[in-house]
Amino acid sequence: MSYDDVEIEDMEWNEELQAFTYPCPCGDLFQITKDDLRLGEEIARCPSCSLYITVVYNQEDFLGDNDKSKKKNLEPAKQLPISWILLLMIKVLFGYAD
Amino acid sequence: MEEAKRDEEQSKQQQIWSWGAGTEGQLGTGKLEDEYLPQLLHLPFLSSAESISTLACGGAHVIALTSGRRVFTWGRGTTGQLGHGEMLNSLYPKPVSSLQSYVITQVSAGWSHSGFVSDIGLLFTCGDGSFGQLGQGDYRSQSTPVKVDYFTNNFVNQIACGMRHSLVLLNGNQVYGFGSGKRGQLGISRDKIKSINLPQVTCGLEDVQIVSISANGDHSAAISADGHLYTWGRGFAGTSDANFPQLSLSSLRCTEAALGWNHGILLTGDEEVLMLGGNYHGVLCDLEKMSAVKHRPDSSGVALNEVIGLDGVKVVKIAAGAEHSALVTVDGAIKTWGWGEHGQLGLGNTNDQTIPQTVSLSPDIQNKEASLNVYCGSGFTFAIRSLSVNPDNISRN
Repeated sequence: MSYDDVEIEDMEWNEELQAFTYPCPCGDLFQITKDDLRLGEEIARCPSCSLYITVVYNQEDFLGDNDKSKKKNLEPAKQLPISWILLLMIKVLFGYAD
Repeated sequence: MEEAKRDEEQSKQQQIWSWGAGTEGQLGTGKLEDEYLPQLLHLPFLSSAESISTLACGGAHVIALTSGRRVFTWGRGTTGQLGHGEMLNSLYPKPVSSLQSYVITQVSAGWSHSGFVSDIGLLFTCGDGSFGQLGQGDYRSQSTPVKVDYFTNNFVNQIACGMRHSLVLLNGNQVYGFGSGKRGQLGISRDKIKSINLPQVTCGLEDVQIVSISANGDHSAAISADGHLYTWGRGFAGTSDANFPQLSLSSLRCTEAALGWNHGILLTGDEEVLMLGGNYHGVLCDLEKMSAVKHRPDSSGVALNEVIGLDGVKVVKIAAGAEHSALVTVDGAIKTWGWGEHGQLGLGNTNDQTIPQTVSLSPDIQNKEASLNVYCGSGFTFAIRSLSVNPDNISRN
């Protein structure tokens, strides 16, 4: 049985764990990642015990987030402006000659 | 050699045990492990004449006040709740050095924040401040106790720290709340309050003389001088949340309240224990087995139940963890019940218990002058046995 229903806005983003967290009565934290949320996962588990909570959220909110983070994290090279690429080329070609 | 050791043991005025969840160092055992049985602690930081006068146990940290008026903390410190000036866990008790120039008289440990009250009514807070629960007017976390300036002109009597909120009781009787208010736990407004970072007066208690406050999870409670219990915040056992203090069963004379995350236990003037909620997680007490006579729903819908299996044994102390409970009987036994997955019941296993079970403390001393006390953190438990010089002090204060 789910220990509790918790709205995503009541969960805290934990940079270190890269997950949304909520206090577990055992002392550890219930955790769910953005990837889980994108996939529609509703269960946030505690790594230390058998308890879990049901996360109440809107999946669409995280599908949008998906695109943003992809652009930001996974495909930065494609997003580089031409001027930056030119600058990099100049640095590579002539930088060591200085 | 053997005899010298025994003498040393006997001359000790106090023994401290811990058990339950221990992976953050909260048990003070020096290990990062759960313990299913009470572990006798060796605390070399205490001088021979010094003893622990009280403990406050939070989500995964502990605050100890000593007879020498020193403050020690240990366990999880990742949001600054230990007050050591860093955001690090501590396996062993360490003094809170910034409080050395104050005489701290009362402390409270929340999920990830801490509160300290001094003898001249000053309030200090540290730890997680992301919901405003430090009362500093911002949402920052603090790794060193900071004086709450809001109360500069008031005398603070008590602090109670919950999961993400805090309550303060002033000498002049008012109760204040700050931090997360989403479940009504601040009692400050009819409207839904997400959070506030400065103290605000709790409504509806203005004409009541409050003598003690408690907070845990999203629950809040206060006891009046005439023994009335008020609760607000998250509803018990599926009842709706209360935005204001609700009087529970006015015929009851209550002396102490201990709150969990989904239940509360009360000690009455008749040394009887009653429970609020409790069947939520299914393990705290079996409602069906409870005495029907003692099932007394009141006007606010808060149901109070007798704790079964005590067979009329008088109780002198109570404590509540997130999902477990503990008590001390008048004849000096510690009993625990509720959720047991981390060994927090101290019974040598991870089973849940619906009926209070006796915890055996080793070494066992049959000393009528020894007083026992019990404290619960979210998923762990501490017990302290003190040999009091005056037999009149036994287990009561």
